[in-house]
Amino acid sequence: MTPGPSGTLLSVREISESEHLALIRSRSSASFLQTPAWGRVKAEWRRESLGWFEGEQLVGAALVLYRQLPKVKRYLAYLPEGPLLDWDTEDLAAWLAPMAAHLQRRGAFGVRMGPPVVTRRWTAAVVKDGIADPAVHRLGELPPTGRDATGARVVAQLRELGWRPQVAEGGFAAGQPQYVFQVPLVDADGKPRTEDDVLAGMNQLWRRNIKKAAKAGVEVSVSEDLEAFHDLYLHTAQRDHFTPRPLAYFRTMRDALAAEDPDRFRLWAAHHEGDLVAATIAIRVGTHAWYSYGASSTEKRDVRGSNAVQWAMIRDALAAGAAVYDLRGITDTLDADDPHVGLIQFKAGTGGEAVEYAGEWDLPLNRALYAAFDLYMRRR
Amino acid sequence: MSLTLSVDGERWRAHLRSVAETHPGLVPVLKGNGYGFTVGRLARKSGWLGVDTVAVGTYDELPHVATRFDGDLLVLTPWRPFGAALEVDPALARRVVHTVGRTHDLADLLEAQPDARFVLERLTSMQRHGLSARDLWATGRMLQDHPGVRLEGIALHLPLAQGSHLGEVDRLMNDVVAAELPTHTVYVSHLTDAELEQLRASYADYEIRPRIGTSLWLGARDALRVTATVLDVHEVERGDSFGYRSRTAPKSGHLLVVSGGTAHGIGLEAPTGDQGLRARAATLARGGLDAVGFVRSPFSIDGKQRLFAEPPHMQASMLFLPSGARVPEVGEQVDVRVRYTATAFDRVVIS
Repeated sequence: MTPGPSGTLLSVREISESEHLALIRSRSSASFLQTPAWGRVKAEWRRESLGWFEGEQLVGAALVLYRQLPKVKRYLAYLPEGPLLDWDTEDLAAWLAPMAAHLQRRGAFGVRMGPPVVTRRWTAAVVKDGIADPAVHRLGELPPTGRDATGARVVAQLRELGWRPQVAEGGFAAGQPQYVFQVPLVDADGKPRTEDDVLAGMNQLWRRNIKKAAKAGVEVSVSEDLEAFHDLYLHTAQRDHFTPRPLAYFRTMRDALAAEDPDRFRLWAAHHEGDLVAATIAIRVGTHAWYSYGASSTEKRDVRGSNAVQWAMIRDALAAGAAVYDLRGITDTLDADDPHVGLIQFKAGTGGEAVEYAGEWDLPLNRALYAAFDLYMRRR
Repeated sequence: MSLTLSVDGERWRAHLRSVAETHPGLVPVLKGNGYGFTVGRLARKSGWLGVDTVAVGTYDELPHVATRFDGDLLVLTPWRPFGAALEVDPALARRVVHTVGRTHDLADLLEAQPDARFVLERLTSMQRHGLSARDLWATGRMLQDHPGVRLEGIALHLPLAQGSHLGEVDRLMNDVVAAELPTHTVYVSHLTDAELEQLRASYADYEIRPRIGTSLWLGARDALRVTATVLDVHEVERGDSFGYRSRTAPKSGHLLVVSGGTAHGIGLEAPTGDQGLRARAATLARGGLDAVGFVRSPFSIDGKQRLFAEPPHMQASMLFLPSGARVPEVGEQVDVRVRYTATAFDRVVIS
């Protein structure tokens, strides 16, 4: 054990899923990748709910996924978008050292985590200007609209403590995205924004498309029909050239998330004259709402089902009291020629801001095994 | 009768202008011997360039600059609660910007002068002066309790480029962001132009002010010429004795007495900074020559470097010119190769 922030000692031990969930509920929000339910979605990995204790009081928690090395019973302990702890501390070692010791006892040769702390933000307008400027290639070349001192202190401390940043080539690496696009649903004072205000923040094209969908008679509703979503999703995968996940994955995801909290998982469907034109999955933990998966038809694109279903999800998040609507990953490229830039443009059209997180960091616990794993990952 | 630095004024000024234009926020560094020009002259030249701030090395240099330049005076040596830092002319106090490199020095400085202007220096891989990341954060917290203080920026003093500095600068800048300081000005030195440009792009919300000395004042080498004057010429035969130490001439030729000696820095071996094997071997070889015969001098005649006939004197040197070589006239100018930062010229002539 190491001395805690208030001079007491922090210890780490396994906790039950209900304790874990109770801690998440006591906070305004946590990443959905840190919920016990997400461990069930990733059933191919051993999982553990970890708790930090100051005396007998639970003060932090993590979902750990143990990913086994081929052939040996040693694991990479992975804490996606976690853990959930007091990142504002200047004594991060007090939190991370007992965690590393615990994970090592459990057979981990290394730890990978993605501290849920923001380092920089850029407004949609800045992003738009950056795309238009041929001299600008990456988000980092633009002055951020805001920098976060807490995030900077986390980054500085991780370096100090021997953690290694995992550089995501081109933005989408194996791990979770470092850059995401978010629409704040509260103003600077934390007061909820109105629907009109959020709508006014969108670009003209988005507003026009939302209107157009309504005029064309697109109807958006919450749906139970996962098969219909999956059919459209397979169609989208073929069109946009990505590898789709099987229907069983989404079933597990819905069942696990819904069992934890009825508001966690919501399937949305946009119909036009009986045809499914767009379908999406929304996830919410506390005040953080995510757009997770989306599918759209190639036919009837002109009725703008995708815009309609996004607007419905945003309104729903607002009604649920969410503070952030998160459109998840973007790459940091602003090159007009890069195929990823279309995704950024689409997301930036909602207004809001591009957000940089601290990214994923590794701590080697067994140098030799970690080096072998690192080499394997690079060659993959 | 002087060791003279002649400057092709037009080319030199054009170079100064172009550095200033391509380095917005430039803070010229004037320190030591003023890169051979004297700090006083560089102070006036800085005024002519139109910069608002110049940097001096030490508090003792302030009087040489203050009357010749109207703007702010940044002192690069960190403030300490003793010595010349405490003896700054009160008339200058409003123009002086101190460098603070230790947390407790800041408390002492503010106690001595509550309205002191200062920059916080962040320790770099140079390990010379400055605050660690955590010191910087602690100072940031301390400053939050003193809303009135006059923090003018952060200072980074980087080592000479060995590969890219950007990784280090990025880590240092992250520490600056983390400290939540009430300033967005950063003074940096020794970044290449490409590195500066990248830094300005990714920290466009900060004002990046380059501190430049050598590449500003000495950047246009071909505009500079150093010459000594031939003061006397004596013919010698083999075996003739001469000089303070009554050495004897190894063969026939001429002795040349030229201006420029130890008082100017001539003949004093300053480390060149060249770390190559060749350079080190050459230094050794020069030392060896000293024992057996004549040593190579920095004076050259008709493009050929000549030997010292004996160690240089305070204001003149004696060279040996073997027979066969053209013998210069008394009054003729000969070229001298010097380290500008270690040479005191008698005259600086700017055309």
